[in-house]
Amino acid sequence: MNIELHTLAEVQNVSGEEGNFTVTVKKAPRYVDMEKCIACGECAAKCPKKVDDEYQAGLSKRKAAYIPYGQSVPLKYALDGENCIMIQKGKCGACEQICPTQAIKFDDKEEILDVNVGSVILTPGFKAFDPVDLDYTYYKKTPDVVTSLEYERLLSASGPCAGHLVRPSDGKEPRKIAWLQCVGSRDINRCGNGFCSSVCCMYAIKQSVITAEHTTGDIDQTILYMDIRSHGKEFDKYYESAKKGGINFVQARPHTILPGPDGNGAIIQYADKSGNMVEEVYDLVVLSIGLQAPKDAQQLSQTVGFELNKYGFVEATSFEPVSTTKAGVFSSGAFNAPMDIPQAVTDASSAAANAAVMLAESRGSMTQDKVWPEERDIAGEEARIGVFVCSCGTNIAGTVDVKAVSEYASSLPGVTLVENNLFTCSTDTQDLIAAKIKENNLNRIVVAACTPRTHEPLFKETLKEAGLNEYLVEMANIRNQNSWVHQDNPEKATEKAKDQVRMAVAKAALLQPLSKMSVDVTQKAMVVGGGMSGMTSALGIADMGYDVVLLEKSDMLGGNAWALSKTWRGEEIKPEVEKLVAKVENHDKITILKKAMLKTAVGSVGNFVSEVDVDGETKAVKYGVAVVATGGKEYKPNEYAYGESDRVKTHLEFDKMLDSGATSSADSVVFIQCVGSRNEERPYCSRVCCTHTVESAIRLKEQKPEMSVFVLNRDIRTYGLREDLYTKARQLGVIFVKYTLDAKPQVSASGDSVSVKVADPMLGGRELDIKADYLVLATAIVPNETKELVELYKCATGDDGFLTEAHPKLRPVDLSVDGLFVAGLCHYPKPLDEAIGQAQAATSRAGVILARTELPLDSIKSEVTELCDGCALCVDTCPYNAISLESYEDKGKEHRRIVTDKALCKGCGVCMATCPKGGVEVNGFTMDQLKAQVTSALAGL
Amino acid sequence: MGEPAIVLEGGVKSAFKDKVMELLPEGGNLNMCLTCGLCSSGCPATGLEDMDPRKFLRMAMLGLDEEILKTDWVWMCTMCQRCIYACPMQINIPQLVYQARKTWKREDKPKGIIGSCDQAIRTEGNSAMGASSEDFKFVVEDILEEVCEEQESCKNLVAPVNKKGAEFFLNQNSREPVTEPDEMVPLWKILNYVGADWTYGTVGWAAENYCMFAAEDDDWEQVVRNKMKAVEDLGIKSWLNTE
Repeated sequence: MNIELHTLAEVQNVSGEEGNFTVTVKKAPRYVDMEKCIACGECAAKCPKKVDDEYQAGLSKRKAAYIPYGQSVPLKYALDGENCIMIQKGKCGACEQICPTQAIKFDDKEEILDVNVGSVILTPGFKAFDPVDLDYTYYKKTPDVVTSLEYERLLSASGPCAGHLVRPSDGKEPRKIAWLQCVGSRDINRCGNGFCSSVCCMYAIKQSVITAEHTTGDIDQTILYMDIRSHGKEFDKYYESAKKGGINFVQARPHTILPGPDGNGAIIQYADKSGNMVEEVYDLVVLSIGLQAPKDAQQLSQTVGFELNKYGFVEATSFEPVSTTKAGVFSSGAFNAPMDIPQAVTDASSAAANAAVMLAESRGSMTQDKVWPEERDIAGEEARIGVFVCSCGTNIAGTVDVKAVSEYASSLPGVTLVENNLFTCSTDTQDLIAAKIKENNLNRIVVAACTPRTHEPLFKETLKEAGLNEYLVEMANIRNQNSWVHQDNPEKATEKAKDQVRMAVAKAALLQPLSKMSVDVTQKAMVVGGGMSGMTSALGIADMGYDVVLLEKSDMLGGNAWALSKTWRGEEIKPEVEKLVAKVENHDKITILKKAMLKTAVGSVGNFVSEVDVDGETKAVKYGVAVVATGGKEYKPNEYAYGESDRVKTHLEFDKMLDSGATSSADSVVFIQCVGSRNEERPYCSRVCCTHTVESAIRLKEQKPEMSVFVLNRDIRTYGLREDLYTKARQLGVIFVKYTLDAKPQVSASGDSVSVKVADPMLGGRELDIKADYLVLATAIVPNETKELVELYKCATGDDGFLTEAHPKLRPVDLSVDGLFVAGLCHYPKPLDEAIGQAQAATSRAGVILARTELPLDSIKSEVTELCDGCALCVDTCPYNAISLESYEDKGKEHRRIVTDKALCKGCGVCMATCPKGGVEVNGFTMDQLKAQVTSALAGL
Repeated sequence: MGEPAIVLEGGVKSAFKDKVMELLPEGGNLNMCLTCGLCSSGCPATGLEDMDPRKFLRMAMLGLDEEILKTDWVWMCTMCQRCIYACPMQINIPQLVYQARKTWKREDKPKGIIGSCDQAIRTEGNSAMGASSEDFKFVVEDILEEVCEEQESCKNLVAPVNKKGAEFFLNQNSREPVTEPDEMVPLWKILNYVGADWTYGTVGWAAENYCMFAAEDDDWEQVVRNKMKAVEDLGIKSWLNTE
């Protein structure tokens, strides 16, 4: 509603300055009237012209009248002017004849328009590397060598083979697949991409795991790699579980791929770690292609007037990671550097925060609120239930017989209409559901699809759009709880799906409309933690114009940043910390509480109240949102002679020596990576240590070129553009030696030296015995203690003690409790630029709430019934302190009963389960509704 | 592994690798190795003498000069350059091997290669097989005559020798005239078909240069200069060498 979408658009010119830009946009003709198009698809069905389908990586054809893919936004067809026969040759016009709404406009013209905006955010994405020039890969010369993007389509339910994986040469299901990593990345010879594309290791692992799920029987999958870079949150666990699941990880790089026997498959020859030649015939070979700057990056940078780095990505600093060199112009996502989805989504919020801070003065001056159609009163109506069964591509339909489930649903009492959709969540299906509700006068909806956790909000909107109360929808999760876990037993899965649908229908019949609720918002934020992340968030929120209370447990702001010397880009850190501290301390909207500890927290999104202990004194703080940035610290190891010899240091300890020049007397320094990380106790990658090590190694070599520097590592994970540092370190003569967990380096220290023994796999395991002056341990980053805070807010941490975000991809800076956001090391180890970016993202997310004076609440709340006798059992069990007792008079007698604070109640139902007499119920989950579900579940027994 | 541990004390001494780096543009990128093994995967000499290109470079980096300057493996490298062609860091392993060959005393180098180099120096045509220029000229003319007679389509085929002012001077690997003379004919046919004005010579006619493979730089240069002079003496602009 507050987003104006221009498709087929290209920026032609940008004039003006920060706060007042005029952007000239050229819109190519769509040849379809967007107002008239109803996306029925008749034009595409009739169109005689077939062209390569870009979305399917050219593996199948689309028509010249087309939509790029089923979930396209906006869902409106377009004519591809370069291929349309009518536009090119003046003959045909089939689409015009068939279109039921006269939406085709062959005479559509290019349009130039000026858009007046205060700030510009650039998100053009990336261009996938095209390996066609790497002749030794045989790509395009033999059919069964495909790129990872092509493979993604082959594997996808919405792809050219509908998710039933087949290889291009002969259409058979491949049984033996190899992935080749770093194709078009980390290569300065055959392409100029010296950087690491950062995401390919994870997508290759993901593809292999999904392949195993999409195929039957044993399948042989091998990933050939240089370093596995699973440096993101929870990624290493995924990698380890893929290994356990039978996927082969081979550290090797083939030279030439050759066509397989009879042109099917491909032959790969490689030298293994020890130099032994291995030859294998694979049914299919996937090239894990890298991410490059988008193809018109150069032009965009000239048009808008900002700088690019040598690889064509946006030039930025670590302290303003999403700001381009032109004021008021921000960028996010893979245009900044290759990055994964969680990082890109975070980045997007950071850019939004920067724009929001800049535009704070004019906030709200142009926005509009959504007006919903008036709700239809269904009181007294018989249940007329519509059931929508989703195929989810092949996610559900591949296992569950959705036709049979649909037929079964039609036989259930109260069901008026049943439909089966390929994707029930797609935009066109929403329109269809809304239309069906009106046509058939439906008053209850059941969606048999996936989880309400991610999709219920969407269907609620659809109901509102159709004039129904949003609580009249019930979901049956026949994907996560069925097709995904019963792939090996489709018949029983179908029966189970019928049970699930029957239960949902039984409950749906009893659903009642619930009235809307809202709370007033305290337009003030609390930030817990005064390190770089906390200060960045606090400053951003304050600059948006809201009051902020910043808590710092020590007596000094700045945190870990004081111990750091330079960023990976080489910028000095301390002056920036000083600047930020000064800005925060001098900001009239920020109240800083030092030596402060959070003691209590009550309330919920929009309205929190906390008691804070400030150096022994208790203060009460009211706030609407909080950003948690409690930080982390360097792990102190108990191995590799740490603590026994003063020649064995952690990174931060060694940095001090580097800063003072005390290291220049050394002739030999050894680094050991993954100390305390990626092991049984801490199975995560600490993300920053590899880059830190190569930076320190470079500094040593620059101080004293003749010094020997060794880095003993399991994988070097200098992801993204940090790879340049790894390259530089090698260039300077730093020697990298790989070790494995079952053959860790052996360290003995005596006097002024340390002896480190390690087997070099590149020499067939021959032992290196390195006599070093210093041993530096690249130790893990561990989160600061958050146990009390987690208990106060009822948020969550993962197994490793880092705070858990609401959704790793979709809501990467939201905590699971509404109104709480997370930034910095308490979320996961990360370098300074990413911590700052995340803190800005938290600012943006907090701003979404703070910008309102009133916040709508979910209506699933507990409510007292006339059976309550005030026994107060539920008061004690409520985990959110939402229930209290009140007195009332009835027939002259005083009684007690409970009352629920609607803002605090999460609708969890603990009260209802505790109450022995039905004195409290949760709306939307009443005893009758649940009973109907249970009875229905047992109906077949 | 039975081999002794490599003791690395205060400063890795890799005199040989450092010297080679000084000789090559960008140091031949010798320090840049990612140890990915792509070179070894594509090398025809991988596994011979328990060696492969990655291991060879690795040993050079660790300063194991004595071992790498002793291994016969350097003579098994074909100088095909497959490694540097696809190496992501464009590391000049062929030059590292070449420089290692250069450190060998002439008498210790493989007899076959050195012998071939010696023959080339000795003969007017620089033939590694020791073939004389008279024999070469005779074989060419003999084969040409035979082909012209036997194959109808080759009536007008030519294979000139010492034709002054021709457009191209063509070298010929001396293995063909000596052991497989018929093998020369296909190239003649191609040149004839495209209407090229070409010639063989009796001086510097042999294409091969084993002095290069022997890493005998002076002899290599002498052979090249002799061939160049032959081309110039005939007043020819372009020199075609098929090796």
